[in-house]
Amino acid sequence: MKRIWGILPLLLLCLLSCHPEHEKPYQPKPYELPKPSYFPSLTNIPADNPMTEEGVALGRKLFYDPRLAGRDTKAGITCCASCHHQANSFEFGAPTGTHHAMLPLVNLAWNTTGLGWNGGVNTLEDMVLAAVTSPVEIDADTLQVVRFLQATNDYPPLFEKAFGSRDITFFNIERAIAQFVRSLVSSDSKFDRYLRGEAQLTQDELQGYLLFVTEDGADCFHCHGGGGNALMTTHLFYNNGLDANFNDPEDRSAITGNPNDRGAYKAPTLRNVAVSAPYMHDGRFQTLDEVIDFYSDSVKNSATISPLMHHVMQGGVRLTAQEKSQLKAFLLTLTDETFLNNPNYAAP
Amino acid sequence: MKNRSLILLAFAAIFSSCTKPAGYGELCVKIDYSVNGKALVTDSLCYTNAAENTFLITEIQWFLSRIELQDERGDWFRLNHKDVKLPMAHTTDWVFYVDSNLPESQTLEAAPLPVGRYKALRFTFGLNEADNQSGLFSNPPEANMFWPEPLGGGYHYMKLNGKYLDEDGQLVPLNVHLGIGQNEDHSQFYQNYFTVEMPIDFTLTENAKNQLDLTMIVDNWFRNPNLYDFNEWGSAIMQNQAAQQLLKENGNDVFMCKQSIENQDSIAMNNEEENGNPLEMFNNTMQKAAPKPHFWSWDSVKQRLGLFKENCKNRS
Repeated sequence: MKRIWGILPLLLLCLLSCHPEHEKPYQPKPYELPKPSYFPSLTNIPADNPMTEEGVALGRKLFYDPRLAGRDTKAGITCCASCHHQANSFEFGAPTGTHHAMLPLVNLAWNTTGLGWNGGVNTLEDMVLAAVTSPVEIDADTLQVVRFLQATNDYPPLFEKAFGSRDITFFNIERAIAQFVRSLVSSDSKFDRYLRGEAQLTQDELQGYLLFVTEDGADCFHCHGGGGNALMTTHLFYNNGLDANFNDPEDRSAITGNPNDRGAYKAPTLRNVAVSAPYMHDGRFQTLDEVIDFYSDSVKNSATISPLMHHVMQGGVRLTAQEKSQLKAFLLTLTDETFLNNPNYAAP
Repeated sequence: MKNRSLILLAFAAIFSSCTKPAGYGELCVKIDYSVNGKALVTDSLCYTNAAENTFLITEIQWFLSRIELQDERGDWFRLNHKDVKLPMAHTTDWVFYVDSNLPESQTLEAAPLPVGRYKALRFTFGLNEADNQSGLFSNPPEANMFWPEPLGGGYHYMKLNGKYLDEDGQLVPLNVHLGIGQNEDHSQFYQNYFTVEMPIDFTLTENAKNQLDLTMIVDNWFRNPNLYDFNEWGSAIMQNQAAQQLLKENGNDVFMCKQSIENQDSIAMNNEEENGNPLEMFNNTMQKAAPKPHFWSWDSVKQRLGLFKENCKNRS
């Protein structure tokens, strides 16, 4: 008799934990972010949006789906992929027609300083909302987008797998796309392989790297990283001497309120820089050669120029034609063909 | 045997938990800066150095490591990060990064130390040769301090960035970046870290929030024994060992330490001399590391990159 009393609670527990097949508890599979050991060990993933296989897959589908605009048209900008092209490191690869150029979507799981040229957008989730509703981007109404997707056959079950409910919310649309964007990892450029001991740089590329990381050379590394910071950016904000006067109301000072931040913008990653023209916050340079020429010969002094632009009184770092060529050769080693052609990042 | 394991586990749990063991007290070291006798105000063109350069400071980012307190018996106790768990074996446990842009970095929270009276403090400005390995830090902001492998690798000991008025009255960039130096033909590397040691009179108690205040007297970098004129040395000194050497020697009296006035009744200043000159009161002794030359070549660069990769592997 005593034995029965011992078994009874176990039986009850079993009965309570048994679900019919269609009531399987929501159990998405955690997504393993692939990264080399020399990348930062800490990621910037919001606690309320952990990455899951299902969430990333849903985000990828939404990223490429014109139905994200919530309307029956494929004309114009209808989804993220309308402007964010994988071949261009997930930026446009051409002038956008707006006053700010685009920034590539690469390795943003490690970005810690806000998004956009002035860092004014806190999270990728917020960025999705901004892009979907912006009149110069997707220009959609979030309620309409939700209704549109809810009425489809394919999306409700995918939202259920990713977030545990067939009821679509814009919050979950934001979360899914943000998860996909965080999954975009570039870590297989020639320079990566060099760091891993899998490839050797040519003499010109090595000389270019030497210029990249020396103050007496081109001194790019203080803002754009290198062997010790393979993200190839500090993610910080600098006035790099593009102009002497400033009239952009959306520079870094718009966010900090600090007048010393006039003319300062985020240092973008140089990964895939060869395929992510145009350059600078306003897209004023179309080629890498123009960028190198600027840093060599045309840097302008101003009251708010970054102290790191120490060559400003000479107008720039004053590279010879050969040095410019070597610096460019190194920058080309940052192109990551594996990333640019990764089928997991392409349209599903 | 089983009991012994349990005792060891319990011991580890005590040390690795947030609570401190009996007989130990918590300690933090608060970092601040003074320039021309006043607290640092960044981006304010209001400072003058001994060479009469007018300058401003935008930011100071630096490492100090192997901070140790000496008790009355002469034993040294190292400060590790408060969140370090046993076994304490990794270099980053005793390396502290301080950044004037990051208020939270200005307070170094240390793991508990034995209570009692301490008579001296010492630390390494920057990182010594053993600690200063490329790949030691993978996360920002520390990773942003990396010192390029072709220049010796490891990390900047300090980045002091600002601007100064040059001889033509123009405001121009000032970068005082210290780290491993090289000679003029790049054939040798020099270790420019140094040890700061100063007497203190500090009592660590079990239940108080013990605090030491460590001040960097910024203008002293440019004063004694070498007059450091920005018009002569300017910026971009990473590849200029002569400038690095001057600053290393000037590091002699850059730091002072006192027991926090907030938590203690009496202030204990270091090396209280009779003349009362605050700049001379803190007679820090500097143990200069003998320069260790390295042949500069792509082979040595590759060797350092190999070390960097090895560190990365170990970390993963």
